[in-house]
Amino acid sequence: MRNSPVFNRRNLFGATAAGLAASSLAACATSGSDDDAQEVTVGDDAENPFGVDGSAPLDVVIFDGGFGNEYAVAHQAMYNEAFPDAEITHLATQAIAETQQPRFAEGKPCDVLDNSGAQQIPMDSLVSDGELAELTPLLDAPSYDDPDVTVRETLRDGVLSMGTFNGEVYALNYVFSAWTVWYDAKLFRDQGWTPPTTWEEMLALCPTIQAAGIAPWTYAGQHPVYLYDMLLILAGRHGGVEVLKNIDHLEPDAWRHESVVKAAEALSALQSEGYILEGTPGIDHIQSQTAFNERKAAFLPCGSWLPNEQAAIAPADFEYMPMGVPYFEGSVQPGLISAGGEEPFVIPKNATNLAGAYEYLRIMLSKEGAQIFGDTVQAATVVKGVELSNPAAQATDQLVSNPDDLFQPRFRFWYTAMSDEVKAALGALASGEQTAAEFIDRMQAVADETAADETIDKFRHDG
Amino acid sequence: MKHGRYPFILSFLALPVGLYAWLVILPFAQAFQISLTDWSGSSNSFDYIGFDNYVNLFKDERLVLPALRHTGIILVVLPVVTIALGLFFAFMLNLGGRSRQGRIEGVAGSKFHKVVYFFPQVLSVAIIGILWKQVYAPENFGGLITGAMTAVGLPAPVNGFLADKRFVLAAVIAVLVWSAVGFYLVFFSSAMASIPRDLYEAAVIDGAGRFQMFFRITLPLLWDSVQTAWIYLSIVALDVFVLVYMMTPERGGPDGASEVVGGVIWKYAFNHGEQAFASAVGVVLFFAALTLAVVSLRFGRREQIEF
Repeated sequence: MRNSPVFNRRNLFGATAAGLAASSLAACATSGSDDDAQEVTVGDDAENPFGVDGSAPLDVVIFDGGFGNEYAVAHQAMYNEAFPDAEITHLATQAIAETQQPRFAEGKPCDVLDNSGAQQIPMDSLVSDGELAELTPLLDAPSYDDPDVTVRETLRDGVLSMGTFNGEVYALNYVFSAWTVWYDAKLFRDQGWTPPTTWEEMLALCPTIQAAGIAPWTYAGQHPVYLYDMLLILAGRHGGVEVLKNIDHLEPDAWRHESVVKAAEALSALQSEGYILEGTPGIDHIQSQTAFNERKAAFLPCGSWLPNEQAAIAPADFEYMPMGVPYFEGSVQPGLISAGGEEPFVIPKNATNLAGAYEYLRIMLSKEGAQIFGDTVQAATVVKGVELSNPAAQATDQLVSNPDDLFQPRFRFWYTAMSDEVKAALGALASGEQTAAEFIDRMQAVADETAADETIDKFRHDG
Repeated sequence: MKHGRYPFILSFLALPVGLYAWLVILPFAQAFQISLTDWSGSSNSFDYIGFDNYVNLFKDERLVLPALRHTGIILVVLPVVTIALGLFFAFMLNLGGRSRQGRIEGVAGSKFHKVVYFFPQVLSVAIIGILWKQVYAPENFGGLITGAMTAVGLPAPVNGFLADKRFVLAAVIAVLVWSAVGFYLVFFSSAMASIPRDLYEAAVIDGAGRFQMFFRITLPLLWDSVQTAWIYLSIVALDVFVLVYMMTPERGGPDGASEVVGGVIWKYAFNHGEQAFASAVGVVLFFAALTLAVVSLRFGRREQIEF
């Protein structure tokens, strides 16, 4: 009894697959509709400058990281106060890219996105793809508290640069932070050490610190990016901010500038002199911060959020104090510091409630909104005039008081390939795996490659 | 009866085949499609750029080529070591003991050992990653192995195993073996249980030692199981990602020394915003897995022995 079925397993399978593939390839991830995005303009009504439809729902996504999301809930309450009928969808997550990238691809993104954390969607690709709304209408709108003052005028100096891509503002970096070197003021007082201002003073102090059984330096060895600002600012202080701008602008031989070489050599020497806590290249940021809290190391490079983050963990008598990275004698711009906005809030261009999103950011930037943030997480926002009580925050404010000295090295955020390379190269440099010369060579190589690659959009400081 | 047969069969097949096509085949097909574009992953517009992604892929000295090398190493080492250990332990636990009055048994306490070896299988990969990260930590920071090595006077890597370019890949492979060996022990044990004891008893009477028993009886009769294990472990080797992500510095470091294909796909898709390029790497991985399965099934085929 032989039969020859029309459908054997294999061709049934093939036919179905082919049919399905043909009919639905057009209807999947890569095929969202490309709506013509609306534009938001600033109207005359100072209460509601963007003409928000009070009944339109608002979809907010918050990065649930070090700052939590309690502040966002409070901001949403403020929004609801103004627009009681608006239904707000609030999502707090750490998986920003995994949850939000598909929505962008579908053409149905959320309205307000806090694009932060390790899982942020790369800003360069969002900007190059034209997925984000430009924020000038927000900045030109009257501020929430005073119709005669624009939102732009309520912000600290230089905080927009981080979200500015070729002259256009695509992200509001809400949190104001600075990269500094931390030390324990109590330890220094007890031991009679003076916090060094120059690199040479620091080197002179290191043997004394070691004599007390403490390693001079530690850092998050598994995440060498914690050294990024320290190295670059060290170089920038020595040679002036132009050195760093040239690096960001991918100028030929920008990395071979003597200040950069000197900074790389100095970092390498910390390792070869044994001034770094043994085992540091193998630890992560939590372990390095714990070692610092336990006073196993005297200096730790980190951002200004550190004392708040450690408040509950550090010993009660630990006094977090920031200082600028000690500069080389003869530096031309010793006050240079990496400070500005972080925690980028963006508005997708295809947001359903575009006006509501602008209004939400305007509320965040109100005095009350900024104070809510300051009170809940003890960190400064980019809004001027919010008082924070703790001494570390006040000391940080001192360090960032000169607007001409504020500069954020940006290539890491502009060019992902360079970001990867600088992390790996810093790790190799600081662990003694590679020399300063090798570090400079590989960074110059990746910069030249990036400059030569026409498929990569190029960015510049100040347009 | 025959007349209504196909609609009847088809009605059963429609749902599973439909689901399979929708959830498995279609995404694969889409990965092919996407790999020919310049899609970033966060937009709904893209252009077709032909095979550029595939060409660039084999020029990528920073991520893709090291990842292919490392995955290649894992692909060779992981199955060999895991299967060798699995077979050895299974043999010892089932047949390795002293024979009492002609009965062949495993070593003493074999039931206890079986449970202990199976333990890692019960833990989730994330827990294994965190656990071993600490085990491999620098001595200064409570590393178990580095501490033990120093205690007995051996030189230990000062920054721990995971921050050392020389050891990081071996450290990851060791964890993979550790977590897989228990499963294959049980797997081979049950296969060994189906080998008739009289074969062994006859061999013992003929004066065979344990080595001969293993290589002349056990291994040949387990060949099918070994082959299955080989394919399965190879696929595990190609898919290594979570441990690298959890344990190593910069998820593939230090300085790219533990970069694997799975991790590189993730990096391009979500860190670099280059979904199309990531899809191209995925397609290459897909063909590698397919080739591997076909090759090992074709060339590993041996005569079946029935008993």
